[in-house]
Amino acid sequence: MGRSANSLSEDTREYNVRVVWTGGKSGDVLVGDKPVIKTGRSSESGGIEFHSPEELFVASASVCFMNSFMVFTQKMHITFKSFEVEAKGTLERVDRSYEITKMHMKTTVIIDSEELRSKTERALELGAKYCYVSNSMKCPTEHENKVVAM
Amino acid sequence: MARTLSQDTHEYQVRVDWIRDRQGELIVQGKPKVQVAPPPEFEGPSGILTPEDMFVAAASACFMTTFITFSRKIRFDFTSFSCQGIGTLEKVEKGYEFTKLVLKTKVTVSSDDVTQKAERALDLAGKYCLVSNSMKCPVVHENTVTVK
Repeated sequence: MGRSANSLSEDTREYNVRVVWTGGKSGDVLVGDKPVIKTGRSSESGGIEFHSPEELFVASASVCFMNSFMVFTQKMHITFKSFEVEAKGTLERVDRSYEITKMHMKTTVIIDSEELRSKTERALELGAKYCYVSNSMKCPTEHENKVVAM
Repeated sequence: MARTLSQDTHEYQVRVDWIRDRQGELIVQGKPKVQVAPPPEFEGPSGILTPEDMFVAAASACFMTTFITFSRKIRFDFTSFSCQGIGTLEKVEKGYEFTKLVLKTKVTVSSDDVTQKAERALDLAGKYCLVSNSMKCPVVHENTVTVK
């Protein structure tokens, strides 16, 4: 597949990735010509450089939330100085298997002036509401947002 | 970073910091930082990992590690494993959502005696893959086991 994202129609898109086993419990995540992510169970591979599938799952939701927030700040014509989100996913036993049952995101946005506060808070709310990835997950996402003017 | 709360509960923590324009950095304690951005079709730069990529990657990688776990429980060896994940993002009432995930997996084994075991491990991995079990969309598996 030459391109990692195929556009089927304006409203449908495909994302292609490949995971190839490299030994032990590890593998490489390959997405087109993007940098390779090493994945697997770090406890066994002996290295700490591996992103586990669970971390990739939590990461996908938090990066999507950031992207979604940026889209709304642009629509509202506001700027921000910094954005940081700390995300925590909880994996629990559900029936016979495990599931991520909860996601918690703690976000801090720094803005230039107090006047931007309400719009920034609104962009964070909309960013969460329209985050594709969280909307594709079964678990609820709790948001704790902090907007600081300085 | 993973933290165990009890035998049956684990926490996974990541951080994402905005860098500039539409780019950010994924930070997981003790692991290499990963540059992240929206995909070009949503006004992002090209060549950088996107949340859409990572969503599909999380399920494919989890399927691999679950398969490995079952291969050990069932006691057989395989010589290669490759999984291609294809996630379909579609517009639904409330914005976009992943509506389908196809995992095309190829496993090679060294002898015909273990083909059945490998197929069984792939079935069980599909059933117990915790990441796809945490997603709303259905997952379609296309498994091929080859003797080489």
